[in-house]
Amino acid sequence: MKRLHILYDAKCALCCQCRQWLARQPAFVELRFTPLQDPFLASRFPGIEKYSPERELIAIADDGAVYQGASAWVMCLYALKEYREWSQRLSSPALLPLAKRACEAISENRISISRWFATSEHRMMARNSDCSSVCVKSLR
Amino acid sequence: MTPIVCTYLAYLLISVCLTVWVAKTLHKNGRIFLVDSFGGNEPLADSVNHLLVVGFYLINIGYVTLALKQGDKPADLQGVLETLSTKVGVVLLVLGAMHFFNLFVFTKMRRRALLHGAPPPLPPQGRVIVAG
Repeated sequence: MKRLHILYDAKCALCCQCRQWLARQPAFVELRFTPLQDPFLASRFPGIEKYSPERELIAIADDGAVYQGASAWVMCLYALKEYREWSQRLSSPALLPLAKRACEAISENRISISRWFATSEHRMMARNSDCSSVCVKSLR
Repeated sequence: MTPIVCTYLAYLLISVCLTVWVAKTLHKNGRIFLVDSFGGNEPLADSVNHLLVVGFYLINIGYVTLALKQGDKPADLQGVLETLSTKVGVVLLVLGAMHFFNLFVFTKMRRRALLHGAPPPLPPQGRVIVAG
């Protein structure tokens, strides 16, 4: 695996924070971030609609393998140099159900959690269109 | 030669011989771990192995010489044996701790090296076409 596409909700400040954190980490696998609000999403990943990407985080490998929710998070950790060991730990049968429950709870409540994280800039952008430009700006 | 000098000489001889034996064992058997950890780069593995052994000698012989004067001052043969046994026992424990520390370092390095080529930990939940 050479590349991992991450589909995230650019209207959610928490998702933007996570995206920024992921992009800052040294990685084994290149991470490419695509907001759900991207008008070309369906043409870039034909068939992605059936996974309801607005529900939970999705990671897509360069060979088309789709991971969603906790599995997508595990794959994000797998891509990072410092956290690959954690991806192996979290994917064990003992920890994966816990990770799944945590991810579901966070995904369902991401908008309310985002209120704690959101800066005034994020709030303004979220109201208007999306926060991808904030993410891009703060990464520079 | 007084009993105390005999104790010191015997202590130095036994401790240094033990250190050399443990260092040689580590050098010989640790090499394969290091070669694996460095992705088959044998010159680098040999270099790190040699440096680790030098550090091992410095710490252990340093400890042995520092601890020479510590303990009782024996007056007879029984005292010599008791003091010698205590001092060599402590050296053995220090060597054991160092040996396990080295093993821990080797294992950690090897595990980190293996992470690089590890396959994805989970099977995918489906497939899509990646167009761009």
